[in-house]
Amino acid sequence: MKVKLRYSHEVASKPILAEIILKTGLLINILEAKLTPKEGEMVIDIATQGSALKNALQQLRSSGLEVIELRSLVEVDKGLCISCGACISPCPSKAISFDENLDIEIDAKRCIGCGICVKACPRRAIQLI
Amino acid sequence: MLNTICARIWRGILIMERGREELRGYEQINEKIKRGDAIVMTAEEFIELVEQSGLEKAAKEVDIVTTGTFGAMCSSGAFMNFGHSEPPIKMIRCWLNDVPAYKGLAAVDAYLGAAAMSETRPFEYGGGHVIEDLVSGKEIELRAESYGTDCYPRRSLETTIVLEDLNQAYLYNPRNAYQRYNSATNSSDRILYTYMGTLLPRYGNITFSGSGQLSPLYKDLGLETIGFGTRIFLGGGVGYVVGEGTQHKPQSGFATLAVKGDLKGMSPEYLKGAVFQNYGTTLYVGIGIPIPLINMRVASTAALKDEDIPVDILDYSIPSRDRPIVKKSNYAELKSGRVLIGDKEVPSSPLSSVKVARKIAEVLKKQIENKEFFLQRPIELLPSYREFKPLKIKKREVTVRDLMMPLQELILASPEDEVKKVARLIVEKNIDHIPIISEDGVLIGIVTTWDLTKALAEDKHKLKEIMTRTVITAKEDERVDEVAKRMAQYHISGLPVVDDVMHVKGLITSDDISRKLVGRRAA
Ligand code: SF4
Ligand code: SF4
Repeated sequence: MKVKLRYSHEVASKPILAEIILKTGLLINILEAKLTPKEGEMVIDIATQGSALKNALQQLRSSGLEVIELRSLVEVDKGLCISCGACISPCPSKAISFDENLDIEIDAKRCIGCGICVKACPRRAIQLI
Repeated sequence: MLNTICARIWRGILIMERGREELRGYEQINEKIKRGDAIVMTAEEFIELVEQSGLEKAAKEVDIVTTGTFGAMCSSGAFMNFGHSEPPIKMIRCWLNDVPAYKGLAAVDAYLGAAAMSETRPFEYGGGHVIEDLVSGKEIELRAESYGTDCYPRRSLETTIVLEDLNQAYLYNPRNAYQRYNSATNSSDRILYTYMGTLLPRYGNITFSGSGQLSPLYKDLGLETIGFGTRIFLGGGVGYVVGEGTQHKPQSGFATLAVKGDLKGMSPEYLKGAVFQNYGTTLYVGIGIPIPLINMRVASTAALKDEDIPVDILDYSIPSRDRPIVKKSNYAELKSGRVLIGDKEVPSSPLSSVKVARKIAEVLKKQIENKEFFLQRPIELLPSYREFKPLKIKKREVTVRDLMMPLQELILASPEDEVKKVARLIVEKNIDHIPIISEDGVLIGIVTTWDLTKALAEDKHKLKEIMTRTVITAKEDERVDEVAKRMAQYHISGLPVVDDVMHVKGLITSDDISRKLVGRRAA
């Protein structure tokens, strides 16, 4: 699952993530990181599942991080979308496809949030979230 | 494949009379529609039927095949009449939601093109969006200017309009519904943003356009039933074919249509403003055409499948009107989402909406079955051959040869040369770029004044330690604006000019371009 971590001013300088990884053996992949000495945001993909995942999220929260569970990095406005498919082949991680009704489907597990589809969409129907 | 199909059809048409009503005529079909027993099928249903029971039987059974397409069609737009204000104005310029409309017409007539862009939100909002908004019933800001005349004294106005306020508002599209269209890929090392969508570097993806086996003009490949006056589904309302479209080239499967229809009867579901990143705005237009199966030739092309419709995949990184063909493909392969280029599997995706195209064919079928839509025999057929001429640039264009510093004014160096020696030469000759050549005269690197300065500071001795080995170059007969673009793209200020075997012929710098070019234009 994908999670956005928000570091506030108080915790930005502490190695919280590293500590929790060491302690819980959490498996993560960093997808995006914007950190300054004052604050920061990080998007990580967590491979760990089940109760171990729950436990790790709990620890992240109690160490002062804001933890936001991401369903997806992009969102399609179905009202604007015309099912043209212009966003499909440009997606470098092959996250976008047609479903059986030829509607667009984005696989949140594959999406890396690169934003290429946002520019590729002639209807401006896709937004990074 | 195309060659055989096309040749067969065109040969047939040359011998026989095009448009001959052998299986059934228009009156007969309309009678059946009236009685409610016309047999109508979408192009895809007809393909299935032909597969099950054979062409002969299917052609006897089915009266009409409906088609559909929904794609970006830049050559679209709307004529409008705003009515007269008090006091009246002869508008010489006007804007709808900041999008300029063409005003080289009478006082309050205007033409709004789909590709015209908003002056305040270019590349985001344009004529296509205004048309969509109008048809959605939204309020549009109208601004106009004039010089004032004795009969039309007003000099400016600002107001809002809705579609219903307009006396006339009709879509008039000079080129729509391409029979088929080439597909695009990109061999270069950067992302391209084109009218064919986003193309990833190094054959990263393929985009294609058109609805393939649903394409109205492909289903009547010989143009036997679609002609002047053909009644069509246009943007959700009723429209008519008003002639061949611009760039009509039916002999190679690139026929196009000019169409017209009343905007007031249309629906925003089938007219959608769109934007192609860094390219501009456009309009997705929904078109559906009923094809009466008047003879076996028409029936046979109405049964053509995606795999029968050839599409060339072109390399859009070549900035030329004649883009090289990377692969000969077809709609079936392109729609599958995977195309092999060499041994690489490349993802492909459409730009036109097959979903909406299918829906249009369905809706048109229902309209005919419900006796809401009757067929119109064309008053005249469209030309079956049209030369497609290029635009010749008659004024000689400025090329690299005109502006480059010739070989005799350059300093060429060898990789073994001493940094110090070359630094001295550079100062004497007041030159910024030094091409480095091998013993046999082939360009192998370049150094700039800045590289030399750094080298002196870092105590480096030979040019080979500091030279840039990947050199961006220019050719003598290249157009200067192309070269200027390349310089900007790579953030460099000078390019060695080379021949085909990489022998240096001169050097061109951005300074040369800006100074000499400006001088020339002024003179
Ligand atoms: S953001 Fe990038 S990875 Fe995610 S769906 Fe869009 S193109 Fe694909
Ligand atoms: S490019 Fe935009 S409009 Fe087209 S299918 Fe994708 S999200 Fe929908």
